[in-house]
Amino acid sequence: MVVALAAGPAALAAPAPTAPPETAALPETSALPVPAAPPETAAPPVPAVSPGASATSAEPSASAGSGPGRELYWQKCASCHGDQGRGSQRGPSLVGVGAASVDFQVGTGRMPVPDEVQQPRRRAEPVFSADEIAALVEHVTSFGGGGPDIPRVTEGSLGTGRELFAANCAPCHGGTGAGAALTNGWNAPPLYEATPVQVAEAIRVGPGLMPVFPSQVLTDQQVSDLAAYVQRLRSERLDRGGNPLGRLGPLAEGLAAWVVALGLLVAAARWLGRRAGE
Amino acid sequence: MIMDRLARALDDRLRLSPLTRRALAKVFPDHWSFMLGEIALYSFVALVLTGVYLTLFFDPSSADRVYQGSYAPLDGTTTSAAYASTVRLSWDVRAGLLIRQTHHWAALIFVAAILVHLVRIFFTGAFRKPRETNWLVGVTMLMLALANGFTGYSLPDDLLSGLGLRIIVSVVESIPLVGSWLVFLGLGGEFPSDEMIPRMFVSHVLLVPALLVALVSLHLAMIVRQKHAQFPGPGRTEHNVVGSRLYPSYALRSLALFAWVLAVLFALGGLVQINPIWLYGPSAPDQATSPAQPDWYVAWGDGALRLFPPWEIHVAGHLVPAPFFPGVVLGGVTFLALYAWPFLERWCTGDCRAHQLLDRPRDHPVRTGVGVMALTFFGVLVVAAGDDIIARLLRVPVYDVLYVLRVLVLVLPVLAGALAFLLARALRRGDAARLGELTRADLRAAGRRARVGEARAVDESELPARDRPGQRIELWPDGGVWRWRYRDEPAGVTLLHHRAVLTEREAADSARLAYPGVDHVAVPGPPPPPPPGRVRTALRRWGNVALGVTLLVAALRQRRNRHPGDDGDGTGSR
Repeated sequence: MVVALAAGPAALAAPAPTAPPETAALPETSALPVPAAPPETAAPPVPAVSPGASATSAEPSASAGSGPGRELYWQKCASCHGDQGRGSQRGPSLVGVGAASVDFQVGTGRMPVPDEVQQPRRRAEPVFSADEIAALVEHVTSFGGGGPDIPRVTEGSLGTGRELFAANCAPCHGGTGAGAALTNGWNAPPLYEATPVQVAEAIRVGPGLMPVFPSQVLTDQQVSDLAAYVQRLRSERLDRGGNPLGRLGPLAEGLAAWVVALGLLVAAARWLGRRAGE
Repeated sequence: MIMDRLARALDDRLRLSPLTRRALAKVFPDHWSFMLGEIALYSFVALVLTGVYLTLFFDPSSADRVYQGSYAPLDGTTTSAAYASTVRLSWDVRAGLLIRQTHHWAALIFVAAILVHLVRIFFTGAFRKPRETNWLVGVTMLMLALANGFTGYSLPDDLLSGLGLRIIVSVVESIPLVGSWLVFLGLGGEFPSDEMIPRMFVSHVLLVPALLVALVSLHLAMIVRQKHAQFPGPGRTEHNVVGSRLYPSYALRSLALFAWVLAVLFALGGLVQINPIWLYGPSAPDQATSPAQPDWYVAWGDGALRLFPPWEIHVAGHLVPAPFFPGVVLGGVTFLALYAWPFLERWCTGDCRAHQLLDRPRDHPVRTGVGVMALTFFGVLVVAAGDDIIARLLRVPVYDVLYVLRVLVLVLPVLAGALAFLLARALRRGDAARLGELTRADLRAAGRRARVGEARAVDESELPARDRPGQRIELWPDGGVWRWRYRDEPAGVTLLHHRAVLTEREAADSARLAYPGVDHVAVPGPPPPPPPGRVRTALRRWGNVALGVTLLVAALRQRRNRHPGDDGDGTGSR
């Protein structure tokens, strides 16, 4: 619903200071809370790297960090993000994205992508193992620039989580967490696969079009509450009424009513009418 | 015994038997499409039954109430009493969710069945004289059904329906000059007002259902008074109704349909989740959820609002906001057109005669074309209400979907209407019995201009049959009464009159009324019973075979048992 979308940013508890909604034009791969980025550019925001650098960047040069993380980075990431993580024409800079962003992008299987896409999709299984992800996170954070750490999720309150969810998340992800369409072909994904840590990371990092919610807006405890509620949304027990039809709302229900119920009833009427002739 | 005495006692006092005899002998046409309206009627019965249960637990108030119950994320939250009681109904009341979901499914099916019934009436021309009044009643009921569906959807005061209510209120506000006053009058204040839920509740459970009951009664009374229309066929004229008697045949069939409706509705209510308001959360003016759509029967309005460009027009210094055209004008024009159609058609065709025989859709290509055009138009609008869901499923930008739909909503209805018109004309002129049998030559012929005298061809079958060979009426005495039947030997049709009369003269009169111009003869003694139907013959044959086989098997087994038994007995005795 367009009305609902338009109301989305306004319904936030407070606008996120580091990422106003205009930065939304940046691809999700940037995971960008970097305030230095010019808002309109979809191309790599860091001018320090020459365009040709990406082709040769797979070769080991000056290293920041060591071990398996560096190895993996060179194999899978550097061709787009540059060997120093400063980005290229094919991928944004990783300097200052923070550990939370790397863990989110790689942990949900969104990264690495085989080719440039507007919005990478979640994979059922991440490409790397947990150890490899940790090593990658360590290597990318060694590029410097700070950025949000991987949040620690503690036990949260469902009630507060529900209220925060309705105020901050439901306009885009839907009250049921089923996800919805955004502008320009972007989607707010469904939340049913996300682990509590990934929920917290997304809140802090703001991947894609999602606004950033720093600790001034949502405290660590509130993030934990939200993560607890999102976990609750995943559970089958909430679909107390039976098959949820994808939690897509009244039009899916209307389709079921027409195709299944009315189809059956008209077939029944035909059957009864046909038998009348005998 | 008791029933018998009760019936006798009632008859003594109220003289019910002539009335009951007439009612039980009423003839209903056998064609299945005459039962579509009954699906709506029985859904309405289901709605009333389940609705009564819901009113026992629903609290129609927007006062604050703390929800305490088994739904943990809302436990201890203060919401409106309407929302809290609906969550309680869904999570804490025994069978509450089943009944609530069945109620909601029944509402969807109710409107869907009304629409399908309306489509049948429209395409077969059943709204023509003398049935225009019943058409008006039917359209009014459709309108009331939409209104009641919407208030029912809004009553739980959840986030999703709150958005819908906000949109409807905005649409009313968009009426120039009077809009805001109307909203104040309706809501008793600004949106969202405290009066909102109690007022919707009164209209949802009292005013509109009472009106619907009255109109349903009127609808049925008019059918009884005017008798059913019927499709043309052998033995069917403008002066009779061919079908089954109400009792026992049609009543049982209708009860079977009632059972079907209840079974399907409760199965859906138990197995498929609808409107999970606990997930949406309570309504709050500053919150939203997405994707957000209304129930399907209002979705055409939502679709129109989405597709209409944001034009704001100034007329004589007054702003006419964009929602006015797709919201108010479209809705008004739609129902005006529905109301006016029978009169428009009569005005255009100049056909003022009464019609008891129905058209087939092909008989009136223009009507068929217009109907298909309108259905396609509203179909595209309903799809447009789901533009964001389509965009997400297809992974394309939502505005691209919107632009495509804007074109489709103008182009597709015209194409579909023209195609329906051509196909109807091809079917009518050619000799293909159904769509699949149409040839290219038929289609080419349909493209040409109408031949002279074609319009006459339809009317000939409606003239009384005079001296048609093989048709006759047979009368015979049956005990103290007289019966008659119509026979058309070439067509293999025998139709028995549904009621017995006292004299031969009465029988002859009623036969002449039903089949003017057909000769009648008196037959001595009752005629032989009709040959049994295919199924009954097959059943009887299989029954005989099964009986024979069983007897044979039993005999064989007995013999085999007897032989060892004989031996045993023998050894025992020795």
